Amino acid sequence: MNTSTNRQSGNSDAIQVKDLEKRFGKFVAVNKVTFSVRRGEIFGFLGSNGSGKSTTIRMLCGILTPTAGQGTVAGHDIFREPEEIKQSIGYMSQKFSLYEDLSPFENIRFYLGIYNVSPTLWAERISWVLDMTQLGDVRDRLTRELPQGWRQRLALGCALLHKPDILFLDEPTSGVDPLTRQHFWDFIRQLASQGITIFVTTHYMDEARHCERIVMINQGAIVAAGTPDEIIRKACPDKENADLNDAFITLMKN
Amino acid sequence: MNLRKIGAITRKEFYHLIRDYRSLYLAFAIPLILILLFGYALSLDVEDVRTVVVDYDGTKQSRDLVRRLDASPYFQVVAHLKNSQEAADWLDHGWTTLALVIPPDWTRNIQADREAPLQVLLDGSDPNFANISAGYITAFLERENTKYLHNFLNRQGREQMKPPLEGRIRIWFNEDLESRNFIIPGIIAVIIMIVGAMLTSLVIAREYENGTMETIKSLPISAGEFIVGKAIPYFFITLADVLIAVLMGQVLFGIVMKANFWLMITASSLYLAVAITLGLLISSATKSQLVANQVAPLVTFLPSMLLSDFVFPVLNMPPVIQTITYIVPARYFIDILKGIYMKNLDITYLWPSFAVLFVMAAILAVLNVIVLKREGM
Repeated sequence: MNTSTNRQSGNSDAIQVKDLEKRFGKFVAVNKVTFSVRRGEIFGFLGSNGSGKSTTIRMLCGILTPTAGQGTVAGHDIFREPEEIKQSIGYMSQKFSLYEDLSPFENIRFYLGIYNVSPTLWAERISWVLDMTQLGDVRDRLTRELPQGWRQRLALGCALLHKPDILFLDEPTSGVDPLTRQHFWDFIRQLASQGITIFVTTHYMDEARHCERIVMINQGAIVAAGTPDEIIRKACPDKENADLNDAFITLMKN
Repeated sequence: MNLRKIGAITRKEFYHLIRDYRSLYLAFAIPLILILLFGYALSLDVEDVRTVVVDYDGTKQSRDLVRRLDASPYFQVVAHLKNSQEAADWLDHGWTTLALVIPPDWTRNIQADREAPLQVLLDGSDPNFANISAGYITAFLERENTKYLHNFLNRQGREQMKPPLEGRIRIWFNEDLESRNFIIPGIIAVIIMIVGAMLTSLVIAREYENGTMETIKSLPISAGEFIVGKAIPYFFITLADVLIAVLMGQVLFGIVMKANFWLMITASSLYLAVAITLGLLISSATKSQLVANQVAPLVTFLPSMLLSDFVFPVLNMPPVIQTITYIVPARYFIDILKGIYMKNLDITYLWPSFAVLFVMAAILAVLNVIVLKREGM
């Protein structure tokens, strides 16, 4: 019966967590966070290093089991259905985590297999991803020979092969030049317009402005939530022309 | 278990293998080197013991004795020396294993029916070798004695007599007592451990080091599928090594398996499963290729070499060590192989060792899944 309520709420919310908590021994990494992400929204999850950001993402992706609380991702319970969650999300982390001694084509085939995509769809999906990532010409080169920005596109393409409901991006643009980042964000917005929910963490505050809504986390607890403008107004009410950077620094101080 | 997911892992692992020539070198060159090295160099048989003779007696009888000694397949007289001092010198330098000193008046003592001692000096620095050589020379002298005894009795006017006791020795299973015949089964066990366990001990650690483990954890694949997918390419590569070893054993050393080929392949597959799951467990527990490389020889190669009844007989070990050998998988595999290679036994005799290997592989696989699950797979 629990799942049926989850499915109902899943109609509007892609992610929903309540009092989510993760402890490692006595250390509280994530302290009762509550938030929800709407379907098709670009959602930013910001925090400094060691704030509990990565731990939260790992719980949402079904990699870590939370200590307490409740939550659903893409309509699946994060305690009981980690495998189903993994099947309905795409995940791309900062390291792009591709097999560098495999070609783009072989990497794509690997993901198609792991995501259990029916082989009748393979040809279509492969050309779709090679098109989208503009890697058709280098499909048989070794991935390690490709420039950073190209590998990033490939990693993103691989995470989309099974047409996931939600795309998790963990600092996707670190170490990438500004122009490539701009292209990347254009593409992300295009995905969101197709109804894919985007959950993104980033260090770059100018990037965070692309997000429709933001949650900021510090020392395991949520310190701010809302649209970028709301957060700036709340965090720095006195400062004229304050930007997201100022808000971030103010909120991370304590 | 989803076959498509397992296939994706297997295919990827296969690409890693063919693009990293070092693993392929390890997979095929090492077995070849080991078979040649062990087959030709590690002979535990004692033949042609190097012998020097000091003949103070210098009679026809003493020269006949030396000639008979040289004619036996167990001794090779390499020098005739002038005095005991020279013989001691040869032993010191390690130029000879055995020195036979025939004292003056030796023939005259025999003819006078007195005691006629001979001095035998042995290099005991290799106790095993010295023991066997001592046995040979004792047997040789015993035979000489019998001959003299017969001559004596015959001279007494008795009719020709034969000694009443005679052991008719028939050796079963390894009729020629060739140590090569049991070296090949042993070497197959060692090769499987080296290739199966040492190679696989790197493969999960490599994913951790390259950061791809984080991706694997985020993908919908279970720990069991991951393990099976990783094991398959290594399974077939190591099985190919087993076939190479069997073939080389036949072609180079003429060692022919007496029992069912498929029984041997089944046993090898089971033992392979133990080796691979052990290697993968080392890999997922250490998470570092460097550490895995240190740990793997210690827990895979060395025990299969030393504690498996291959080179050193378990029965001669102290009880504590004997107990430890019960958890060494190679012990059970070598037990099966000896049964198959030499005794032509079938499954009705060998099933307990099969069962132990199966249980070991199952336990190791479960441990693997537990370790990976704890990491978030």
